Amino acid sequence: MKIERIEMSLSELHEKLPHTLGKNSENRLGLLTSIDGGQLATLLLNPKDGTAGLLVSPLENNSYRSFTPQLAQFHWFERALFDFFGIVADGHPRFKHLLLHDQYEGDFFPLRKIALPANFQNVLPRRYEFFEVKGEGVYELPVGPIHAGVIEPGHFRFSCFGETIVNLEIRLGWVHRGVEKRLTEVPWQKAHFVAEAAASDTACANAFAHAIAIESILEVKVSERAQYLRTIALEIERLAMHVIDVGGIGTDIGLLGISSAMGRLRGKALALADLISGSRFLRGFIFPGGVRPVSERKLSEIKAGVIGLRKDLAPVIQILSENQMATERMKDIGRLSRSLAQEFGMVGILARACGIEYDSRQCFEQGKFPELAPPITTELGGDILARTRVRIGEIATTLDTIEKLLDGCPHGEDKITLPASLPANATGLGIVEATRGELIHLIFTDEAGKICRYSIKDPSFENWTAISIAIRENLIADFPLCNKSMALSYSGNDL
Amino acid sequence: MLKLISYLLNQGIATNRNICPDLAEGVRGLPKLTDIPCSTGCTACVDVCPTDAISVFKIEETGHIKLDLGLCIGCGYCVDACPTGTIANNPSTRVAVSRREDLVLTTASAPPGNIAQDATSVMVSAPDSLEKAKWFSRSVAARVVATGCSACDMELGAAGNPIFDMERFGVQIVASPRFADALIVTGPISKGMQAALSSCYGAMASPRIVIALGTCAISGGVHRGGYADANGIEELLPVNVYIPGCPPHPWSIIHGLLLAMGKEHLAPRSVARFSTVRIEK
Ligand code: SF4
Ligand code: SF4
Repeated sequence: MKIERIEMSLSELHEKLPHTLGKNSENRLGLLTSIDGGQLATLLLNPKDGTAGLLVSPLENNSYRSFTPQLAQFHWFERALFDFFGIVADGHPRFKHLLLHDQYEGDFFPLRKIALPANFQNVLPRRYEFFEVKGEGVYELPVGPIHAGVIEPGHFRFSCFGETIVNLEIRLGWVHRGVEKRLTEVPWQKAHFVAEAAASDTACANAFAHAIAIESILEVKVSERAQYLRTIALEIERLAMHVIDVGGIGTDIGLLGISSAMGRLRGKALALADLISGSRFLRGFIFPGGVRPVSERKLSEIKAGVIGLRKDLAPVIQILSENQMATERMKDIGRLSRSLAQEFGMVGILARACGIEYDSRQCFEQGKFPELAPPITTELGGDILARTRVRIGEIATTLDTIEKLLDGCPHGEDKITLPASLPANATGLGIVEATRGELIHLIFTDEAGKICRYSIKDPSFENWTAISIAIRENLIADFPLCNKSMALSYSGNDL
Repeated sequence: MLKLISYLLNQGIATNRNICPDLAEGVRGLPKLTDIPCSTGCTACVDVCPTDAISVFKIEETGHIKLDLGLCIGCGYCVDACPTGTIANNPSTRVAVSRREDLVLTTASAPPGNIAQDATSVMVSAPDSLEKAKWFSRSVAARVVATGCSACDMELGAAGNPIFDMERFGVQIVASPRFADALIVTGPISKGMQAALSSCYGAMASPRIVIALGTCAISGGVHRGGYADANGIEELLPVNVYIPGCPPHPWSIIHGLLLAMGKEHLAPRSVARFSTVRIEK
């Protein structure tokens, strides 16, 4: 999508951001990063009118005054900025590494292109210090990086008093694979394979955001049919993920019948993905310029599949919703307040579960959205129950949307031919509402038209903090269920 | 609760009795090589491959290709690009192997150099032999270390759902390496997870088997060669079974587990159906 680029000095930025992003403002922070280490690049989004602006502010001495004390949503962005560029946020209340661990050399900043200043003093040791809670009877419980089940790695450091969690610090970065750097190394025509693997459980959303960003650099528009098919694929991915996430709630409550039924039904949702793309994870379906061809016969099979799935899902969801034990188990546990969710810029299901009406499908151009975007599902409780209800609500609206899109899908070309190279010094932006919320791909090209910086903001990046907040004062035994109800991505966060 | 039980009873048996069947028509599997010769001078497949899994070489003016499934992410682009049909889609889900070199396919009967050699990097030590794995033929307890993008993990999870039901073959996922006979590794094992993985392996009692699940675990896949050392398992642990695919289909995962348990006869990998592997040993 189109993006306005504004050069702005650091002091102007400091003046501007507190009201542009302050309480009750229309804007939100898309992401904060740098292009080569010599500047801050702040992406501001205005969901109301669907616009985006990029503020580029040159750095003077490789540092800036931290925004975090005033604007909490900056806290992880500023830490990541140090990890990857060595740029220092002065006055950050908890300044430490975020994603790169002690295996990396002290002065290793993988995305930095310009030289470090001669007087550079590394302010952070690689050794990671956890936040410590002191007091009689307080103990620490370290969990991970390898977890008990089949799930991605992360480390949770609980400080507990008895069975109550006083503080939870989450340390991620275990699956940092260098995706952003790799995206600047491969030929751009093949970059979509890498973009998909940022988090393959949302491969389609990642490929979609990548395609939108590249197409916006090239200033091309894909065919109407491709727009429809992309949107259908995105919703199929959402459907499959929501179904398994609701099933996961069943597992953690102990309603194994629900989880096995949902596991089976997810298989049916994946079969829809197989039909449209030949891959259960929609891999390789969306790429810059269009989509892989889909026959009309397949589309009608998908239609039949959606109708069948709607019928099959209804009784299972009804049984779960009516189950008093399940409702009691989820109610008032892992509660996130609306005001904190807003302050930390949280997105997706967990934000909508505390009443924040933000669904980027309603705001930013992505395929046939916002034109055919479903209504926003929200709840007010902010607890596990509310999150589950939002998911269940979205399963219904997603099924409706897929049907509507299938009915409207026109004939036409699947793809257009793209120019052989990207224009120089361009910026491209793609925003997609992935299963977990707002996903951003931001691309910069250099004088030669090569991708010189590729930045991805996974929805989980803002949302991990939500678990730490929501689990405070809850029992340690409630953590797995609370974690499942957020269903965040480790690999998308770690990149 | 009664409603749930009656619902489940009404659903009947969902489990597929046919073990590791072929993929449905139109579904993309891994590529395979056919008997049709390459057209000379063509490099169409090499040009489109995102992970450099294919290379072309010549023997007396005839073009031949070498395809390393350990690098392949199954995007299918080579199949679409190949003008002759030398590379085709392989619908079989029985793609797991116990030797790294068996993932390397070639159209040549006597390929130049030692293909097996350059497919395999340094092995840390010899794996516990699969002979011993026969001990696990009735039941195997597996510990999973996930280091990837989560799709491999989800497919492993799916292999346990009622449709595939890997537990019927005696496979159980356990929560501690102390109980585990097998270590299943997914993802490219970048720097961040290397120490955790080796301590998990160290905590397992012998005999123990290691299963590399997915292209990332085998070679690093799309992440190979970057600054995070995300190059797969091979320089870290000895491997008994390789399951290629990005992610592998749940049936392929079950095929790999059966292979690890010495029960491959339940789902034999018929070579004719698979490819024309003709590596001279
Ligand atoms: S299917 Fe495999 S070998 Fe063929 S182009 Fe894709 S990654 Fe390369
Ligand atoms: S092999 Fe593919 S699906 Fe598996 S972890 Fe790697 S990128 Fe993800």
